[in-house]
Amino acid sequence: MFYIYLAILAVVLALTVWVLFDTKKFSLQVTAAMVIVPLLLRLLMIK
Amino acid sequence: MRKHTITAIICLAGALVASAVAGASFLAMRKPDVIVNGPGVSEKKMLSDWFPGLKGTPGDTEVYILKGADDGASMLILGGTHPNEPAGHLAAIVYIENVVPKTGTLYVIPRANASGFTANDPQEGAPQRFTIQTPNGPRVFSYGSRATNPVHQWPDPNVYIHASSGQTLSGSETRNLNRGYPGRPDGTLTEKVCYGIVQLIKQQNVTITVDLHEASPEYPVINAIVAHPKAMTLASDTVLGLEMQDIKISLEPSPVNLRGLTHRELGDFTDTLPLLMETANASQGRLRGRTDEALVLTGKDKWYVRAQKLGRLYVPYDEKGHPIEERVGRHVTAIGEILTSWNLEHPEEPLEFENIPGYEDILAKGVGAYLLPAPAK
Repeated sequence: MFYIYLAILAVVLALTVWVLFDTKKFSLQVTAAMVIVPLLLRLLMIK
Repeated sequence: MRKHTITAIICLAGALVASAVAGASFLAMRKPDVIVNGPGVSEKKMLSDWFPGLKGTPGDTEVYILKGADDGASMLILGGTHPNEPAGHLAAIVYIENVVPKTGTLYVIPRANASGFTANDPQEGAPQRFTIQTPNGPRVFSYGSRATNPVHQWPDPNVYIHASSGQTLSGSETRNLNRGYPGRPDGTLTEKVCYGIVQLIKQQNVTITVDLHEASPEYPVINAIVAHPKAMTLASDTVLGLEMQDIKISLEPSPVNLRGLTHRELGDFTDTLPLLMETANASQGRLRGRTDEALVLTGKDKWYVRAQKLGRLYVPYDEKGHPIEERVGRHVTAIGEILTSWNLEHPEEPLEFENIPGYEDILAKGVGAYLLPAPAK
């Protein structure tokens, strides 16, 4: 269960990074950057 | 390179920097607080010495053993069951750093939920640490989470089912140490810690177990002792002793249908006499205003003063708040009264501890006066 959770997390993080580089809208880029922080910290099992 | 690619790289760099800064701050919480061996400490072991299944896990935690010269009964003090209730944690440390048993044995687990000390509760805005000034300089202590760090136990189920009773609670309660007793050797990390504590109590034949807590001022069970039926005589005598010292405290019977708590399960599953004690901690309450180190230490909060005037609290509350000296002093003194009551009831099996700080002394001199100098780094 735990590894499935981590896999889902990794997919969501990858999609967020993809959105960050795909969109031309700056506000969406900033939003994506903010979303990356908690996803990354959890994927690294820091927080 | 296109413009939106450049801004994307800048945003990604910002996210990585923010993650690094926040990550360093979160990782710093994993360093345990300094606890100094007092004159009465004869041995320091780990909970995994009683339950090897905890060895190497974030749930393994220190057990301080203070052994008297003569045999007698024994007591276990649990501090830090909920790491966001600092008076319980500090009172346990005051016992470790000051008390010298004359007869009987004292076991102290100051960080019962060691994992909970490595994180804060999300969205609470609580400080990560607080500082107690001592004559020898500041001592810093962690202000942790009520529950096991989700990094160490995740995901939570939608519904937490208490293993031995079938009681159902909110899923996040699966990480609450005081809902997991008597624990399971093959359960979650939290249940394993519960199981380890139960093994210690059983193998050492611990006579009395005291679990130190704090409560929100709007919570009905506050400035109280909660006792299992078989510990009710001991608790009653303790309450009388505290009232003689003008320390107001109520006595609550352990509810039969609220399962997984120390005051219920340790009484049902072991021979120990379990007691749980609560003091008033505004920093964990729902009605509080700004949550910072000052609130943890002083308990001063204008919104709680207002709530008191509206009759919404279960504890007196004015501009003086409920400072950490009062809260730690209540716990330290109440344990002393438990010992006095036990010795009156059981003179053939005494528990005599010396050098217990007095309530008025803690109020006057502060908790820091009873903390030893931390070793130089």
